[in-house]
Amino acid sequence: MDDLLFRRNIYADPKTTDPDVISAKKSDPAKQKFAQEIEQLDEHILAALNVSIPEELSEKLILRQSLASHQQQKKSSRIKLALAASVAFAVGLTVNHLQFSHAYSSVGDYAIAHTNHEAHYFNNNTEAKVTLASLNKKMASFNGSFSDGLGELMMADFCRFDGMKSLHLVLKGQTSPVNIYIVPANEHLTFMKEFANGELNGVANDYKNSRIIVVGDKQEPLIQWQKKIRDNVRWST
Amino acid sequence: MATKQVRYEALVKALHSDLYRYAYWLCHEKQVAEDLVQETFLRAWRALDSLKDEKAAKSWLITILRRENARRFERKRFEMSEYEEESITDTHSTSSEQEIENHWLRDKIAKMPEEYREPLVLQVIGGFSGEEIASLLSLNKNTVMTRLFRARNQLKEALDDEPKLRGQYNG
Repeated sequence: MDDLLFRRNIYADPKTTDPDVISAKKSDPAKQKFAQEIEQLDEHILAALNVSIPEELSEKLILRQSLASHQQQKKSSRIKLALAASVAFAVGLTVNHLQFSHAYSSVGDYAIAHTNHEAHYFNNNTEAKVTLASLNKKMASFNGSFSDGLGELMMADFCRFDGMKSLHLVLKGQTSPVNIYIVPANEHLTFMKEFANGELNGVANDYKNSRIIVVGDKQEPLIQWQKKIRDNVRWST
Repeated sequence: MATKQVRYEALVKALHSDLYRYAYWLCHEKQVAEDLVQETFLRAWRALDSLKDEKAAKSWLITILRRENARRFERKRFEMSEYEEESITDTHSTSSEQEIENHWLRDKIAKMPEEYREPLVLQVIGGFSGEEIASLLSLNKNTVMTRLFRARNQLKEALDDEPKLRGQYNG
């Protein structure tokens, strides 16, 4: 290794581990002396570069960080509180919605459910004892009346039809009782002209302010029931 | 959280001196250097999870500090070539021969072109290799080695030309 290259290498990095430079240093006392000079120079440079560190700089750095992360924690706990409040609000809304909303979305679903729910109170042999007069007394609250009996009326009573005041009639059918519901016209239950499940059929008809729903078993001629109702009912307004 | 805190404190204790000295030689002002180090460690704290390899911590911190320093220039358009010589005076000087020489050499280093000084500081204080300095400064290794050669060469010549110091230096 020539002297110039050697000097360049040593100047660039006195602590070089380059094997060529190291072996050149070992083989030539002049090079070794030069290398030592530069190593000494480097010690002086290091001493010169090592300016004194401000007192307690590391403590300041740690303190500043704790303050900053404390701020961050405060911020994040505010966010957590806001989140908790939002969740509570959403839960409140949901409970409110579940409690006060209508569980059934269509006339058919509700009518069948209602019929099934009360089915065990009636059978086709129950004595029919409700008179036309007492039926019409109740019909008055729907501004309607029946001119003639619909059939053998076993029961006529007000009931809640998905939260609405309605009139529930149970009549003797061919094999099982027929249920008639007189319900105020409404919007939250989807109107269905016909509906059915495994055992029951149903039909519905819209009148001016009311809706009349007939539910009976599969043998029941519901269309005839509907016609009989249409022919008999009178609306006063 | 606790482990992050422990890591951070270890990092501060191990590296704050080197980082401060590097910052000082970048900006030549004690207060600015301290601010730079503060800002650097604060950013390091926020990004600590992204530091996977503790061995890379020093070059990671230096990269953050250089970026902070560059931002300082964007903010202030600070004129770099002018600096006050008073600011590099070591007020704790005990006026020993060693201190006189340190002061003299410090002055020479401060007057050296930035492009020579920075690799020298990284090599001598940071203990970085030529390759590492090259990657920190986005230069190629040959350029770095040439600058290091010129930096030491300048200082050596300056020392050799200074009769007062020559005796101390050779002795």
